[in-house]
Amino acid sequence: MSKESFGAPGTFVLAMIFLVTFIVIYFLNYKYLAGVWELR
Amino acid sequence: MSEQKFRTCTITGLKVHGPAESLIKANIITAVIFIAIGGIAALLVALTRWPAVHLLPAHWFYRILTAHGLDMLIVWIIFFEIGALYLGGAVLLNARLAAPRVGWLAYILMLGGAVLTNIMVLSGTSDVLFTSYPPLMAHPLYYLGIILFAVGALIGVLLFFATLYKARKEGVYTHASFPLVTFGFIAAGMIAIYTLVHGAGIFIPTLLWSMGLMNMNPSAYRLVFWALGHSTQQINVAAMISVWYLLGTLTVGMKPINEKLCRTAFVLYILIISVASEHHLLVDPVFSNAHKIWNTGYIVHLAVLGSMIHALAVPAGIEVALRKKGYTNGLFEWLKKAPWGNPGFSAMAFSIFIFGFLAGISGVVFGSEAVNITAHNTWRITGHFHATVVGGTTLAFMGVTYYILPIVFNRQIIAKNWASLQPWLFGIGLILLSGGMMSAGVYGVPRRHWDIVSFGGSPFAFTWDPTVYMWMTVMGIGALTAVAGGVLYVWITLGTAWKGKPVA
Repeated sequence: MSKESFGAPGTFVLAMIFLVTFIVIYFLNYKYLAGVWELR
Repeated sequence: MSEQKFRTCTITGLKVHGPAESLIKANIITAVIFIAIGGIAALLVALTRWPAVHLLPAHWFYRILTAHGLDMLIVWIIFFEIGALYLGGAVLLNARLAAPRVGWLAYILMLGGAVLTNIMVLSGTSDVLFTSYPPLMAHPLYYLGIILFAVGALIGVLLFFATLYKARKEGVYTHASFPLVTFGFIAAGMIAIYTLVHGAGIFIPTLLWSMGLMNMNPSAYRLVFWALGHSTQQINVAAMISVWYLLGTLTVGMKPINEKLCRTAFVLYILIISVASEHHLLVDPVFSNAHKIWNTGYIVHLAVLGSMIHALAVPAGIEVALRKKGYTNGLFEWLKKAPWGNPGFSAMAFSIFIFGFLAGISGVVFGSEAVNITAHNTWRITGHFHATVVGGTTLAFMGVTYYILPIVFNRQIIAKNWASLQPWLFGIGLILLSGGMMSAGVYGVPRRHWDIVSFGGSPFAFTWDPTVYMWMTVMGIGALTAVAGGVLYVWITLGTAWKGKPVA
């Protein structure tokens, strides 16, 4: 993709930070769930 | 319609219809008065839930909490939205309001309903909280007040659609499609119609039940109530995002980078977003797991996709607009050089951040059935929806008020330095408040509860992890900060409307 055709690189980085935050929080919540609701 | 009923806004060049202007002013000022009432209630609730203060006795806590929920979630926001719909329908299209007298009828019904409901709550006959779950029963006039308010709001929404129709029919607005902001308000209006119909559908039987005229099935109540209770918040989301687009345009000259995609995202809201209400029923034993999982595990993500599109489109549009102004160094010069002192911009930026990072992520995570079992009825949920409705919607509405005042009220903002500070105080306060609530909720702190220390003298002792008290203190500090921002907002808005200098 050429530099000219992508007009919002900063927003792309912000979106990636958002995505990583989303994944981490989802993971932490399932980790927490696994701790209080163990499978034996 | 006589041209004499229009004036031309000297800032935007828009033609402002006089009767529409009067109705917008009435709805916005009433909204601000109710946010002041709800804000006082918020302060009292927060100072009671903060264990170090624990201000109110139990019965007053639940009474004030009921008033807080109603005045903030319903009255403030819907009054503001009706004003915004008239703005989007009449002012933005240079059109006349289709039937101003009908608008005043809607206003009187809404005001009468809101006042009646507040009186019944404060009289101590209706301590049922916002949800008013049976078998808790309020005074019949409490339900009547909500019905009157809902009918008035429904009439206001229909008047908005009639205004669009008239604008087309009379050849005032001839473009192929409505502007994106108005299109978003159309989405909000369509969601409002089915939401308010469900409101009447549940509160009319509940009124009859409270009068002893019929029985009430609590499960049926919960199912239909949430088609009002949560869908009201979806009106807010659609209206809030419309306001983001409006503020982006007004503050930095933003244009959507792909308008068709943005419109598609609004359509996703109209079609899908109502199923999000289902997450309130995730621990309800009456509904099947398949029903719950289908709605909250699969379908709702199409509405989440809509939010993702908007959350990318608005900042991207802002970045493109600011880069065109020459802020092209590195990845983030545009963000550093953005007009952070403009309260319209800072309110929008905080609203996007809080709605995306705090409200959006927590909403999707807590709304999945497995995680919900650990989050349901804890303070995590309260933290989530304060981020959504207050940090997102209310803050966006505060930001657009700084443009409605000059455009519609024809007044210059008083105390501009305080106005620049206001969104920062409110936004940072909300981050602390919601963060404190969600963090304490992780430890199991229940929502709605008056006393989590001794549980009202319960014989079963319970000891919290000490960290809980730290997070509750963070919540308390956040509440005080947000209330300070709220006080500034009410003062600046009412002060400007009353004593602001006319726009030259």
